[in-house]
Amino acid sequence: MSKRPSEPRALTSGTAERLAAIVEAAEQAAAKVIDDAEEQARRQLSEASARADRIVAERLRALADELDPPAPGQREPHLRPVTSVPEPDAPAGPRSGSAGARLLATQMAVSGSSREEIAERLRSGFDLADASEILDAILGPEE
Amino acid sequence: MNLTDLQALEQRYLMRTYKRAPVEFVRGEGALLWDAGGKEYLDFLGGISVCSVGHCHPEVVEAVREQAGRLMHTSNLFYTEPMVRLAERLSASSLGGRVFFANSGTEANECAIKIARKHAHRRGISAPEIVSFERDFHGRTYGSLSATPALAANPDLAPMLDGFRAVPFDDGDALHAAVGESTAAVLIEPIQGEAGIYPLSDETLVAARQACDESGALLIFDEIQTGIGRTGSLWAFEQTPVRPDVMTSAKALGGGMPIGACLTSPEAGEILEPGDHGSTFAGGPLASVAALAVLEIVDDAALLRRVREQGAKLRDALLALDGVEAVRGRGLMLGVGLEDGFDAAAVGADLLERGLIVNVPEPGTLRLLPPLTVDSDQIERAVATISAALLSYATHEQASL
Repeated sequence: MSKRPSEPRALTSGTAERLAAIVEAAEQAAAKVIDDAEEQARRQLSEASARADRIVAERLRALADELDPPAPGQREPHLRPVTSVPEPDAPAGPRSGSAGARLLATQMAVSGSSREEIAERLRSGFDLADASEILDAILGPEE
Repeated sequence: MNLTDLQALEQRYLMRTYKRAPVEFVRGEGALLWDAGGKEYLDFLGGISVCSVGHCHPEVVEAVREQAGRLMHTSNLFYTEPMVRLAERLSASSLGGRVFFANSGTEANECAIKIARKHAHRRGISAPEIVSFERDFHGRTYGSLSATPALAANPDLAPMLDGFRAVPFDDGDALHAAVGESTAAVLIEPIQGEAGIYPLSDETLVAARQACDESGALLIFDEIQTGIGRTGSLWAFEQTPVRPDVMTSAKALGGGMPIGACLTSPEAGEILEPGDHGSTFAGGPLASVAALAVLEIVDDAALLRRVREQGAKLRDALLALDGVEAVRGRGLMLGVGLEDGFDAAAVGADLLERGLIVNVPEPGTLRLLPPLTVDSDQIERAVATISAALLSYATHEQASL
């Protein structure tokens, strides 16, 4: 009989329940990460589009002024952007936002890191002084 | 045949591509090596992060021994069970997609580059570009070499492949700006290994992920050195806030047997088709049973926790030494930055004399990659040896002034 690496050992019922809870929590966290990422992507697309419109508008104004300088006393250039462009509501947050923190915590939990290790990593990487909300969502509330 | 005989034959018959240390090793066990004269060495290099389960781990040895006596090679024209089982295990433990086996890390990266370029062509990009960081090391075959800026600059090896560019290390804004419509992939090491152990910041990793998401490019992690438990998780990406689309593995995967693997997400796994890539030896049963045995040992929560704990212990002890300015890295992948005035090459040579094997990847840095199974006594012995070597160097320098 050939020797092969042994099959994984059967999990005890307590471990299995704990694992199932982690997996379920991880799946929920992952779904939220995806939702957040999609929302973030939509916001960034909107902001990028607004920035592009502003650049086009400014360029059109400059071109118009070069081709047809405003008469003395005339305050507005002849050409104007087709539509006015609203300013974005607020500047985008840092790139390493909460979605990244949750994904980091989820991946670390799945890879076997402890609550303390994940909390420390979130503190050092994301300046998260209190990571309990993320940790509770992924690992369940602290007992 | 003694060392002098070996060196004479080397001079006559081997290409002059390596500068070997004057030691002939004849036996290894765990974290220890013995030379032909019977001298014992503590190996904190592990064959450059290959022997992560230690030298001649009995389970790896037994798996290889048994398989070698039964079937060594058939080619990829046929099925062999170890390869398929290994693919299943690697996929399930990483990105959930498909696996392409190779014989080395650089070959695994060649596969990743092909995936990226084909994916780009499907998106209508005629001249796809791959973006990496300066000082990245991805290998020595021409595709991987072209993504390794420091080596690609060698004019004697020109021309490199078109379609590669590098941005300053850990500069997320530069990376974000470099990624555009023609970008096929961002190919990076989450922790630069050959450069001297330099981790990428979370912010840069997130910037890379976002840049890829916005442009449609693939994010490729070269985990050839960081993978297989080296950083305290099976894969380094698991301790980062991002998930790559493609990743590459090699080195420790085979426990000393040559093997590489390109691992994908489910989507990226659909890109290559019959005829796009291949290898005669890759995924052979001998290397595959070795890799299965390695994963059986390393993919273990208790061992990985121990790697993190031993790594923290080693880091703290090194930081307390006179002459050590900084310790970089994660888990048991550490770069020891020496204070100005210390010649790392001289310290490394002295350490070898004292029976401790380390590597000097750049002036001023010692690279430590001990087996993941290293014990506390061996860590204390290594730290004491490094302390003695640094003290000796400082004393000698002082005396020569």
